[in-house]
Amino acid sequence: MIEWSSFLVVTLGALAGGCGVVVLFSLGVRFAGPETDGSRRGLGIACFTVCALVVAVGVCLVIPYFAPFFARL
Amino acid sequence: MGFKHSIYWLSKATAFSAPQNAGRLWIKSLYRLSRTAYRGARHSAPVESTRRIHMGIRSPLRFGLPGGSPTVCSTAVNIELMVALVIALALFFDFTNGFHDTANAMATPIATGALRPRVAVGIAAVLNLVGAFLSTTVANTISGGLINEGPSGVLITPTLIFAGLLGAILWNLVTWVLGLPSSSSHALFGGLIGAAIVGAGFASLNLTVLLSKIVLPAVLAPIVAGLVSFLATRIAYATTKKRQRDGFRVGQIFTSSLVSLAHGTNDAQKTMGVITLTLIAGGLQPANSSPQFWVILVCALAIAMGTYTGGWRIIKTLGHGITDIEPAQGFAAEAATAATILASTHLGFALSTTQVASGSVIGTGIGRKGASVRWRTAGRIALGWVITIPAAAAVGALAALVAHFGWWGILFDAVVATLIFVAIFLISRRSRVTAHDLAHANPAHFVRPKPRGNKAKLAAAAATAAAAATRAAPAKGVEP
Repeated sequence: MIEWSSFLVVTLGALAGGCGVVVLFSLGVRFAGPETDGSRRGLGIACFTVCALVVAVGVCLVIPYFAPFFARL
Repeated sequence: MGFKHSIYWLSKATAFSAPQNAGRLWIKSLYRLSRTAYRGARHSAPVESTRRIHMGIRSPLRFGLPGGSPTVCSTAVNIELMVALVIALALFFDFTNGFHDTANAMATPIATGALRPRVAVGIAAVLNLVGAFLSTTVANTISGGLINEGPSGVLITPTLIFAGLLGAILWNLVTWVLGLPSSSSHALFGGLIGAAIVGAGFASLNLTVLLSKIVLPAVLAPIVAGLVSFLATRIAYATTKKRQRDGFRVGQIFTSSLVSLAHGTNDAQKTMGVITLTLIAGGLQPANSSPQFWVILVCALAIAMGTYTGGWRIIKTLGHGITDIEPAQGFAAEAATAATILASTHLGFALSTTQVASGSVIGTGIGRKGASVRWRTAGRIALGWVITIPAAAAVGALAALVAHFGWWGILFDAVVATLIFVAIFLISRRSRVTAHDLAHANPAHFVRPKPRGNKAKLAAAAATAAAAATRAAPAKGVEP
């Protein structure tokens, strides 16, 4: 009755996406956020950048105009 | 008959408005649901019987037959009037949809103080406006196949859509007054089901498909979102130090904007579909065509205006009522909401935005140590979800029943509905929730219970302040 396989895929996708973004942003905050010593600032900024890229992918998913590009990739 | 056909064509119209985006799964599932019902109906019911269903419009609006509406000349004005009425109502539904769903994206950033309330709804409104245009610019080449669908042709009654919209709007307004986040799609669907049951009887309802496409996803959506949000919250708190967590405020702005944009691309489509369908049914637009520009424009404006009005009550419930949200939690919850919505629309299992957002907030409440979830409020929200479809259906059915009496019935419907809308608005004035009430972030309430605002609030807060003072007094006495 219900497509459990696609439900599972959605659950895993949401887990990967949601937790991935939070892990990256948290690491960014940890290394380059307020109250840091600044020793690993570059690493933090790298984390923020990757996180921004992931969010950008999300934006592209929302905008249908970009959908064909993703289909090709 | 009415249900099967009207839902079928409605969903088809909404599907053709943007099928290139894989993110229309919600509409797709609606389409599948109705298609199953429709196939059954085509073989069982003769076309003639439907003529009796919609007495509001005497000439049958027919697809699939050349020269489909032979008796239009005598009732042309009526049809145009009816179409205008349905369009007005559809736009009003779009408006309620906007202010009802602002909370999904903007409740948590407002609650944590990441965005000021007015700024937050402003961003949401702009993104909804932009989103509404984004998703239909691609939809120009869509075929849709609205015509030539079977030799008997298909009848669609604006009267039923009218009744269904009344049910949906009424339920949206009731849940808004109660401050309950409930799915606008479910309300629309419920209203149409109710109207159709009056037209075609209970037999027209395919309960199995209803269960698998609407009821079970409604149960699963908050569970998935809650799980993601719970884990994300744990991760965020494990990774960062306590003093760093204000850094999440900036991130919240982006994740909530993403949710808002996703909402804009999805929800304005529904109204565009309804209006386009009605125009086609009224013979004012050729079948097989995509939404006209003015339809896209007014729908985008209506949903943006609704969003900017801000459903402060629902924002309050979602941001403050379920649990007290800190910036890290807000970020985790919004990331979970965005990820779940995007995954569900692109990987093949449609979930309702409202239910995902509510589930995320509950999940983040469980995830932070020391936070508590007010299960009473959560239970009320869940109860609202359960009632949404039956309640909207009941109103839709009642409206459709009255509308059967022809133009007087429709007029009666419209007048009574207007009176009820005004009554709901007056009731809402008794306990106003404004942007100002939400301007203070959550932690401020709990760290410093310093009364602000008018004297009544001051007096009410005095008791708690006094109690706190007596407890704090010994500690303070030592310090100097």
